[in-house]
Amino acid sequence: MAQFRLQGSKVLAVDMTGDAVKAKNGAMVAYDGRMTFKKMTGGGDGLRGMVTRRLTGEQMEVMEVKGHGTCYFADRASEINLVQLHGEKLYVEASNLLCTDAALRTGTTFTGLRGASQGNGLFTTTVEGSGQAAIVSDGPAVVLRVTKQYPLQVDPGAYVAHTGDLKQHFQSGVNFRTFMGEGSGESFQIRFEGEGLVYVQPSERNTVGGEL
Amino acid sequence: MPFTSVNSRMVRAQIGPGQRMYSQRGAMLAYQGDVSFTPNIQGGQGGIGSMIGRRIANEATPLMTVEGSGTVLFGHGGHHIHVVDLTGETLYVEADRLLAFDGTLQQGTMFMGSQGGVMGMVRGQVTGQGLFTTTLKGQGAVAVMAHGGVIELPITPQGPVHVDPQAYVAHRGDVRNKLSTALGWRDMVGRGSGEAFQLELSGQGTVYVQASEEKL
Repeated sequence: MAQFRLQGSKVLAVDMTGDAVKAKNGAMVAYDGRMTFKKMTGGGDGLRGMVTRRLTGEQMEVMEVKGHGTCYFADRASEINLVQLHGEKLYVEASNLLCTDAALRTGTTFTGLRGASQGNGLFTTTVEGSGQAAIVSDGPAVVLRVTKQYPLQVDPGAYVAHTGDLKQHFQSGVNFRTFMGEGSGESFQIRFEGEGLVYVQPSERNTVGGEL
Repeated sequence: MPFTSVNSRMVRAQIGPGQRMYSQRGAMLAYQGDVSFTPNIQGGQGGIGSMIGRRIANEATPLMTVEGSGTVLFGHGGHHIHVVDLTGETLYVEADRLLAFDGTLQQGTMFMGSQGGVMGMVRGQVTGQGLFTTTLKGQGAVAVMAHGGVIELPITPQGPVHVDPQAYVAHRGDVRNKLSTALGWRDMVGRGSGEAFQLELSGQGTVYVQASEEKL
């Protein structure tokens, strides 16, 4: 098992003893020991995955890093958050996924309108299995818990990832004022219901809905 | 005290029935509970009169009214957020630096030229603040955005404080400000230190300075 450690909040250190991790292409900043870097075509989940990625446009440029020693990863000084998976699924935008244990399976899933509103297409990346993953966010992310009694609404541009058994749907806060040409800038939200965790970053990506 | 800091770039606000808050449009990151966000045509309070004032003063940052009961997370553009608690005094701050503030505070605009005459106007230009700034007065909390972290420097009658105009964020209290120039002969012959202008704040209060010379 590769060991994930954070050095500060913007560098991920992974200790490896002959095992492998999958990482975003070009995210390596330094390594010691002996490492090999191999590009994986189409996000590294076999031929089927490659075809789905081609079709879904959820492009993920992934490399496999294997060896003995410590490899350091970073992505444009973004904050890094470690996620420990115990068999559940992590839903994350491909651009926010930095590194996963090689034992974790990556795939794509249909998100529908939500993805389109974020300018991320209709699909998002899933990571499944047991092991560690590292996701990046623009600024330090907070983890918000959703329970049956407390659903959560998130600005689509501030959403990073989520885990657990959550239903998400798109809701619009459009009222007559919005039609009068005074949008609040909060016309659309993603509503999460169920049990799980949502990662939210303190910055908004430019989204189609964000201008309304 | 409605704002609690989540991390350096995010604040959490508790809102209850009958309470009201204003925030910059689009600054909501997430919320739980039953909260509504309504755009303000006039950008805050004060009705039409103040709206015209604002339009002329170009201090019309689009705001929205936040009402209901629940918790709201605010943040914007990954900027650092500094919470200022006002206890009756006035806070002078650029409208575009306001992330969110208590609805109980009185909003107004102030003409920069009224302090320091012509130099006051020049000051506005140098600090990139224009001729007007926003004032918030009363009892309540304000969340202000800054580039990099914020430090608070006390201003006492014994000692004025000098601030790089580009690093100035806001100030509160009974403070006079003037632009002092430190143009020596060296600047004339082209060896400027890059610190030709300083903002001199004197009186009684606090000035907020950011760890960067970048605007938001």
